[in-house]
Amino acid sequence: MPTLIIDGKEISVQPGATIMEAARLLGVYIPHFCYHPQLSIAGNCRMCLVEVEKMPRPVVSCAMPVSEGMVVKTDSDMVRKGRQAVMEFLLINHPLDCPVCDQGGECTLQDLAMKYGPDRSRYHEHKRHAHDYDLGPLLETEMNRCIHCTRCIRFTDEVAGTSEMGAIYRGDHMQVGPYTSRPLSSELTGNLAELCPVGALNNKPFHFQARGWELKKSDTVCGHCAVGCQQRVDHLNDQIKRVMARRCLEINQTWLCDKGRFAYDGLTRNRLEQPLLRSEENNRLMPVSWVTALDRAAELLKRFKPEEVAGLASEAGQGAEELYAFQDFLRNVVGTAHLDHRLRQRDFSADEVPLTRADLAMNTSLSQLAKADLILLIGFEPRYETPLLNVRLRQATLNGARAFAVQPRRMHHSLANLTQIVVRPGAEVAYLNSLLQELQAEGIAQSELAVAWKAAKQPVVLLGNYAIVHPQAEAMRRAAVALLEQARALGGQWNGFNRVAGRGNAAAAQDLGVVPHRGPGYRRLERHGRHAQQILQGAANGEIRVLLLLGCDPTLEGVDTALARAALSKCVVIYVGAVETAAAAMATVVLPGLTNNERPTTLTNVEGRAQRSAMAVMGPVQAKEDWRIFRALSDRFAKPLPYNTREALRAQMAAVDHRYALDNLEAGELTAACDHKPVTTGLPLAADGMGGSGLLLVVEPAHFQDDAVTRQSTILSQLTLGRTAPLGALRINPQDAGGAGIQEGQKVRLICGDRQVECVASLDESVPAQVVFGDMGQGGALLQDLCSWESGFPQVSLVGL
Amino acid sequence: MTKIVYKHIHLENSHTLAVYKSVGGYQALEKALTLSGDDIIDEVKRSGIRGRGGAGFPAGLKWSFIPKDDRAKYLVCNADEGEPGTCKDRDIMRYVPHQLIEGMVIAGYAVRAERGYIYIRGEFYREAERLQAAIDEAYAAGYLGNNVMGRGVRFDLAVHRGGGAYVCGEETGLIESLEGKKGQPRLKPPFPANIGLYGGPTVINNVETLTSVPDIILNGGAWYSALGVEKSSGTKVFAVSGHVNKPGNYEVELGIPLKVLLEEYAGGVRGGWDNLKGVIPGGASSPVFTKAVCETVTMDYDAIAKAGSMLGSGAVIVLDRSVCIVRAIARLSRFYRHESCGQCSPCREGTGWLSQIMQRIEQGKGVRGDIDLLLSVASNIQGKTICALGDAAAMPVAGAIRAFREEFEYHIEHGRCMVA
Repeated sequence: MPTLIIDGKEISVQPGATIMEAARLLGVYIPHFCYHPQLSIAGNCRMCLVEVEKMPRPVVSCAMPVSEGMVVKTDSDMVRKGRQAVMEFLLINHPLDCPVCDQGGECTLQDLAMKYGPDRSRYHEHKRHAHDYDLGPLLETEMNRCIHCTRCIRFTDEVAGTSEMGAIYRGDHMQVGPYTSRPLSSELTGNLAELCPVGALNNKPFHFQARGWELKKSDTVCGHCAVGCQQRVDHLNDQIKRVMARRCLEINQTWLCDKGRFAYDGLTRNRLEQPLLRSEENNRLMPVSWVTALDRAAELLKRFKPEEVAGLASEAGQGAEELYAFQDFLRNVVGTAHLDHRLRQRDFSADEVPLTRADLAMNTSLSQLAKADLILLIGFEPRYETPLLNVRLRQATLNGARAFAVQPRRMHHSLANLTQIVVRPGAEVAYLNSLLQELQAEGIAQSELAVAWKAAKQPVVLLGNYAIVHPQAEAMRRAAVALLEQARALGGQWNGFNRVAGRGNAAAAQDLGVVPHRGPGYRRLERHGRHAQQILQGAANGEIRVLLLLGCDPTLEGVDTALARAALSKCVVIYVGAVETAAAAMATVVLPGLTNNERPTTLTNVEGRAQRSAMAVMGPVQAKEDWRIFRALSDRFAKPLPYNTREALRAQMAAVDHRYALDNLEAGELTAACDHKPVTTGLPLAADGMGGSGLLLVVEPAHFQDDAVTRQSTILSQLTLGRTAPLGALRINPQDAGGAGIQEGQKVRLICGDRQVECVASLDESVPAQVVFGDMGQGGALLQDLCSWESGFPQVSLVGL
Repeated sequence: MTKIVYKHIHLENSHTLAVYKSVGGYQALEKALTLSGDDIIDEVKRSGIRGRGGAGFPAGLKWSFIPKDDRAKYLVCNADEGEPGTCKDRDIMRYVPHQLIEGMVIAGYAVRAERGYIYIRGEFYREAERLQAAIDEAYAAGYLGNNVMGRGVRFDLAVHRGGGAYVCGEETGLIESLEGKKGQPRLKPPFPANIGLYGGPTVINNVETLTSVPDIILNGGAWYSALGVEKSSGTKVFAVSGHVNKPGNYEVELGIPLKVLLEEYAGGVRGGWDNLKGVIPGGASSPVFTKAVCETVTMDYDAIAKAGSMLGSGAVIVLDRSVCIVRAIARLSRFYRHESCGQCSPCREGTGWLSQIMQRIEQGKGVRGDIDLLLSVASNIQGKTICALGDAAAMPVAGAIRAFREEFEYHIEHGRCMVA
């Protein structure tokens, strides 16, 4: 380890470290613009010049590796003069419009100009003018302010993988911008505004909304997907103005995806603001007091036998406290075992096996992912399901990992070295089993994937949403486990099994037992309740009389929306949630809750890392924290839940699952899930895939619009995310469409048995023949109306209208 | 006087393999292949030859930096010849391409590089054709390819035409361009000797340097080092342009007095020696000499540096008394502004600023303080940029002000030229 002296202080650092990194370790600040710890080194701003003894010229500290015995001065005369010179060069063509610049007050250029800049300009020539660009709904450009640090270029090249930004022209005509005149397509675009050291790339929704110094800042955790990025919510007068990334090397490094950054505008739309009760006079929901609403809800719950009551929760948008209180209330106060959060899941066969967290979440931590040498994605589009996880996967592929994706259509990936393997829906298990046989057989593997798999030392498998909601999900999961066992990558030093349940707080819902067959802390239950499918079927045929919904809308996001509508119209619905939904409109009692950011909460990410998130803004005045609603209801059963404060609730959560204890929260080192293997090793594999000929329908969640809040966001609704078809359209292979005489934008009727739905068709090259794809919960008519739990992927026929 | 790189250019069809072989071509290669790589490097070190492209770095030392590891190594010949005033390499490629090829095969063998590239500036279209024809001949005759001269040595050579950017003559900018990227110089360290073309150890030498290698091998390093003067051994081609009666390329031993070069070789200054105003001794980026300096200075690396300029690429630009220094430097500044790659702040902003001030003074719109501003901006650029282009833009301005300050002052004061 080389030892050097910086400003008289001695430090030893890793060989290959730069002077800048050594200085950061020492706490010595070296001014810089182009240097960014998560990006490659450009060394072009020249602001970080330092003096090194025995070197004739100042050196750039961000790029100069340390060597033994180096003596560095960061504040000598030579250094100060050099910085003043560089500062002047950066300012001569920079407009001095700080008073109208969004970056003003939090601008690196402004700050350093105060320290090193001249107090008057010696530049009397014309200032340069640069073009502005339309970069889409998220970025506002003011390229005159650009100082050509190329952070944005390096970001799109290295992190986002879209290479959409570049520098054209040379010399002082050099212009940073997109190569094309199209809006940026990356799902990480918002980061450009954050990493731009000046006001050239601005956060468009935040443009002219507030000044940085007026804003109050709260440290929260993003709950819109399961990665759980640490973010800082900037708000003014109880309105969120913007969201910035907090630096967390274990999770989001310094980035946020556009969903997490811009979903906040959904918080203020279509909120449930006060308790509502269905009036007996006109059968409409009318505002009532909390006491009336709670009394009525309790009375409805008590009116029927406990086994006639069931609960369905949405994991997205709920804190661990809410989920825990929900199941506690249903199990221990109402006395029912019928509760679930897995509305999208089709395959419940694994409920018979005592799965643990290792089977249900990730075992490779996010930071370990970058060290994988082979990545197998099964039914996973990480770029949009969990964008920050995808950043790690991309890092791994840039480090040389090979990647394979087994999926029902060509997906949008940003991984290098990727081979996409399109497998017909239903044939995945057969594909994975044949791969297993190929690996187990003597002799040399034939297929590209098998050859790579045999050579891999640290392979990872990631099961995405499609694999989780697949009709043969458990068979696919077991095949994945068997593959990893074959590669000896299941426990010990490396555990490559990852089930990426991508919705926010899905891990907490599993941990805290919002499932019918398991209690909190993975405690096994004697008596299994009904799962989501059985609850809705029971409600539709009268066996379930009361349905308690926590933030979820089965008529929008379940597998079978037709069944859900029938169920909800037949039984009494008590709706607890923050946002108006179709399910709330069908309820008898509506009890308004809060969203993340409006209450302190605990969110567990897909690695199993529980994190506490602060309250940033006030919700609607009358809305309550959801767990308090269950606490208040329990009073009316004379069986009060044993916690009156959030702290007491958290203590109880910690008692049933130690991972929720304060000491284990936000631990720098993740308590490695590697310790325990998925328990299902050695279980029998499914013999084969499902049959299914003809045209199959696959309904997928709409990216970035798959929870109650994001669906309300107008900013997110403007993003295309690489798709060519409008949301809600049926995506069909152009050849299939040609055969059926269907054109782009034409209305079509989809028929499956006695059910039919009309929608608009869009031709899509990425869709394979004989499969059509639709979006979950989008468009006027729901494609899920054609789906049912029994049928697997529905076989449909298509008629052009 | 001994000639090395130009010794055969007077022969008819000197560019063909037949003629080159008839005057002893490829004998040096034959000899080199009997030596070890280290012996060759030692011989080149002994010769004391310094890089002829501009920086004057000892070539043998550069070769010895190539690590002896398993990575693929590359030899690149810098034939970008973009420095204004320089045209020495063009004649080598035009008339004795085989001598360059022979030098490259020897150099490649010495540093264990199996691939060589000649990066030639885009404007040298005919020269690129000549080189390609010579390479084809060399392949056919077994001097290039998998089995050079039947000795089991591999060396492949390709010509790559650049797009005409000056900055691609900077060695790392050249590498980027050769890799197909925008020609922007890289940060150093790492140096090309360790991480260069395609991430492999890379030697980059100027055309003239490599063309000198066969004679060094054939006659020995000691023979070469006896030519010229101490620390500036060998011969050098000076491309004399401007106000002389016989402008052209002259290969002479280093250490020749400038006055002798101009008066005896280049036919004398137009209108006589006393009509001389100044000389830019080493290409556009070297500071200008006044006539007084020109009287005594000798043309070798150290003497020119001592006199406050650089030998550079050996482009001697002669200015007689009809020249307005302000106008000449304004034109040079515009060149550097145009050719700055725009990557690093001091050069991107500084070259533009210098050029605008120079333009303003030239147009008679200069103000008091502009001269000091020019000096300040020039010194602010110097030593802070990624590559030497920033220095190259700053030095001629500062040098011209040092040498001819009164002309600048006159321009500002009177709004017009002192000369005409």
